[in-house]
Amino acid sequence: MDKAVLSRRALIAGGATVAGVAALGAGGLAPAEAATAVIKKVVMYRVGRYRYNATTHVTTVLTSTKVNVTARFVGSNVYLKNSRAVWTQIPYVWSKTKNGLVYSHYLKLKLDAAAALAAAQNSPTGGYKVIPPKTFASVSPFHSSSDWARHLLRRAGYGPTTADLADVKRLGYAGWLEQQLNPSTINDSACDALLKRLHDASLPDQSTPIWKVNSLIDNGTVNSWEQYQSVLTDLTIRALWSKRQLLTVMEDFWGNHFNVTIFKDGTAESRAHYAYTIRTHAFGKFSDLLLAITRHPAMLTYLNNRESTAEHPNENQGRELLELHTLGVDTGYGEDGVVNAARILTGTGVDSDSGEYAYQPWNHWVGPVKVLGFTNANSTETGGAAVVAALTAYLAHHPITAKRIAHKLAVRFVSDTPSDALVTMLAGVYLKHDTAIAPVLRALFSSAEFAHSIGAKVSRPYEHIVSTARLMEVQPMLQNLDAPQQVWYLADNAGHNPFGQPFPTGWADTADEWESTAVTLARWNNAINIVSNWWPNQWNRPALYDLAVGASLPTTHGALVDQVATRLLGRTLADADKNAVLTFLGVTATTALKSNSGAVNWQLNDWVSVLMDSPYQMMR
Amino acid sequence: MTETTTQQTSPGRHVLDCCAEAEQASRFSRRSLLKALGVGSVAVATGPMVGMRAAFAASPNWTGDVLVVLSLRGGFDGLSAVAPISDPNLVKLRPTIALPANSAIQLDATFGMHPALGDLQPIWNAGNLAIVHAAGLPQPNRSHFEAMDEMERAAPGSSIRSGWLDRTLGQFSPGSAFSAVQMGSTSIPESLVGPIPVLGMESIDSFSLDGTNNSSDRARWAAVLNTMHTLAPGGLADSAAGTLAALNTADTLANANYQAANGATYDNNSDVAQALKNTAQLIKAGIGLRVVTIDLGDWDMHADLGRVDNGWMYNKLSDLGGALAAFATDLGPTYLGKTTLVTISEFGRRMEENQSHGVDHGWGNVMFVLGGNVNKGVHVTMPATGNLLDDANLTDGDLTASTDYRAVFADVLKNRTNASASGCGDISPRNHPHPAGRRADQGESIDTRSMTNTRVSFGPRPVEGGGVAPYASDPGTITSRLPPTFMPGTPSRNALKAIFAGS
Repeated sequence: MDKAVLSRRALIAGGATVAGVAALGAGGLAPAEAATAVIKKVVMYRVGRYRYNATTHVTTVLTSTKVNVTARFVGSNVYLKNSRAVWTQIPYVWSKTKNGLVYSHYLKLKLDAAAALAAAQNSPTGGYKVIPPKTFASVSPFHSSSDWARHLLRRAGYGPTTADLADVKRLGYAGWLEQQLNPSTINDSACDALLKRLHDASLPDQSTPIWKVNSLIDNGTVNSWEQYQSVLTDLTIRALWSKRQLLTVMEDFWGNHFNVTIFKDGTAESRAHYAYTIRTHAFGKFSDLLLAITRHPAMLTYLNNRESTAEHPNENQGRELLELHTLGVDTGYGEDGVVNAARILTGTGVDSDSGEYAYQPWNHWVGPVKVLGFTNANSTETGGAAVVAALTAYLAHHPITAKRIAHKLAVRFVSDTPSDALVTMLAGVYLKHDTAIAPVLRALFSSAEFAHSIGAKVSRPYEHIVSTARLMEVQPMLQNLDAPQQVWYLADNAGHNPFGQPFPTGWADTADEWESTAVTLARWNNAINIVSNWWPNQWNRPALYDLAVGASLPTTHGALVDQVATRLLGRTLADADKNAVLTFLGVTATTALKSNSGAVNWQLNDWVSVLMDSPYQMMR
Repeated sequence: MTETTTQQTSPGRHVLDCCAEAEQASRFSRRSLLKALGVGSVAVATGPMVGMRAAFAASPNWTGDVLVVLSLRGGFDGLSAVAPISDPNLVKLRPTIALPANSAIQLDATFGMHPALGDLQPIWNAGNLAIVHAAGLPQPNRSHFEAMDEMERAAPGSSIRSGWLDRTLGQFSPGSAFSAVQMGSTSIPESLVGPIPVLGMESIDSFSLDGTNNSSDRARWAAVLNTMHTLAPGGLADSAAGTLAALNTADTLANANYQAANGATYDNNSDVAQALKNTAQLIKAGIGLRVVTIDLGDWDMHADLGRVDNGWMYNKLSDLGGALAAFATDLGPTYLGKTTLVTISEFGRRMEENQSHGVDHGWGNVMFVLGGNVNKGVHVTMPATGNLLDDANLTDGDLTASTDYRAVFADVLKNRTNASASGCGDISPRNHPHPAGRRADQGESIDTRSMTNTRVSFGPRPVEGGGVAPYASDPGTITSRLPPTFMPGTPSRNALKAIFAGS
């Protein structure tokens, strides 16, 4: 019997290849053969019935048919000719005992679903590097098909600024993204200095340990309300001015995936540290992020797990761990799964003095637990913390979680309706890389679907406000740092406080959820307020004339509209839209433009605002 | 009441000073900060709309009353507003702040109303006011935020992520832009969070496009915005067109120089009066109003509640009573007959006054129901002892809530709107047994028009969390058959080692 059984963990850890090859022995494929293709006749056992043991990952073949086949061996891959005489890779194992291939067509069918995933793994990128897509395409009449630099900044950031556009062009598509994916390599000293200005003894930096913030609140040094607000202000400083744009987008993304509604009672001392925790893990392994979140006092407070006891388990966090944080609603775990997850989480609590995470064995429910395929004897009070870690690892590595995270990322970065192929591919990369997010993003930004989605997304209010402000080239003031707060107030008023979703779901990121009358009016009013510098106004910015018109004044109004649109949006308007703007101004394309014309004076705020209201800026 | 209840503060939570919390709560709920900014006159609530459009097609139209929900934020002291003045416990427990029997407006043999609410007396006499006493959450929750959250979501123990008013509106065909309005502030209450779009406005005339000063301005803007959205995706184009139409409607209303009818006078200095005045105008305009929410804060009277003729409570009740009376008078029989206003607060106050002549957070509370021909009276479940405030009817020193607040709304929905109980899932009070073992819907009838008892008739229209496409397959099956890392290609032979049975 061939009993070289490898655990799933060993595979995930990447130790499998060596062990597996060694286990094949002389009858199998020696490592030396790996590089060349060999065609030879071998014995193959077609599997009939089989039994798979989920705990040991051992498949026992119950019935099989012995056949002789001609197979092509390339390295460790095996190919058979299909009905069209094309060499087709097959899933197989080599049986040392039987000295033959073991193959199941049923298994193959099952595994075909994962074929796209394997293709991704075997693709040239392998998920390790961003490969610039060969072509770009716009799906909107409002966006240029060749403007990949703005496309990148609108998706992997909060919209273009002159400086960031220059960076993207200097570093190139892959160069800029690789830098974004390694945020520590980016010199962000200007933004760091701003954050330093914001934070002082009475508003500690987000990395400050929870126990310390807790004691500072207790002794009155730190005001809880300001502490909450600073989470939004920090995010907005980064969104407006950080060079680490993708990291900030991901802070918003994970912050909403793991929503802890801002201002939620009892999280004053932990909420800023929560944002810091998310940022720390933003590109790392999802399994690490999930465990850090599951044990974070902000989440334990928000979803009541700190109150959960063996006798009275509170199901809130157990439910959301399955429904929101990992698998998604109705994925088969059932109410039993919720109850078991809640039991596993008992004891995962918060120390009442320090406010820090503390495992409290006396609160832990003891006994066998089962959530889908996860089982654990869970036989001791003290062992609960390890069971939590095992459960979160199981959930993070679950294929359904992989698909769900992949889908969410695709919706955030590509389109509201990403293709199954893209989602499957990204899910495969996620699983192959042990749930690491950076490789998934590399594959996403290398995909044709991303490159061909220019203009497919609609900006939500916060993104619309920040990107419009960035187009206006706003800069922080020396006198005060009020502008970021003004920005998130404005977003809050437009119904999109970035961390303000009142429920644990976080904000949705599809256009149809942001289409009401009130949202639209709020967007339009936000645009004219920003363009006209009415409010927010506590920032420095170039005069609108210098930004929009620049040094050379065109001779006609038609040329002016072209020039301004190109400077701000990177393209000229469609004819109908251009004519509508000219009518708005009460002129025609050929009307002569003078330095005292209304269009470059008293009308300028208005018609630039119209551009910001329009799909040219609203869509991204 | 024998049910033991304890204050729901989590162990080790950083307990804020009660009043600081209330201050935060009021800032959070009313956004006085934003109000001071003078910009962004309209606020927004949105939620998942996916799948909603299909559901709309077969849904009925709203044919019932306009429902106005007035939230008295901070913890309204119902025992100051409407007190059991014949109950000897009242003066005993509140020696300095009890509503004196001789100054109260006698409502029935037991209850008297605070004289600051005197403006409501004609409304009461006309049969247009009902009062529910000792109403509240099924279990006490003395945290401002948590109690508001529980009340407005109205789906305890579930993962429903929408407000109860949103779910109610979700039963109906889509309405006009003005079908759900938060009036008086731009902060949308949790009760309206969900798929149904909500307009949040400080006032009708604040619903305007900044930068436009007159109708010709607006026409110019409308023309260019219309054109530029022509090629936008459906949703974006529709919302642009809808917004432009709503702006016109609001502008017409704002310029109509609205005058209150029937000699009603709204206090120009009262936010709640002005919000109700705007609401009355929207009701009369017949532009599809279904639900209005209004906030009135500053009820967190831990200290110096004041005297019966002067002070904090007196001023607040005068404001409230005057505004409600003006609203009812202005509407007149025709429109009041198509309107139901209900007040709600996150909790009542403690029975006993504290050392600072105030009252701390409590439980059972008063709800006012105002509308044409409501079921006039003080509706309360009296304990067997005959006195509302007897020890046995207190829970940890708080008036026990014997009527589930949801039962009141249920009655209103059933009897004054055409909201349906069917397809609402199961959040009715019968599933949340009353602490006394009695179900709230088995208590005294609290119908506001008919005397038919009813269960709560608004219910969960489940909103899928996360917005993720459902995966049809059974995950249990997949994982139990194959290790997730088993893929065609390289990993395969390492991932799966076959063992031949019996060989």
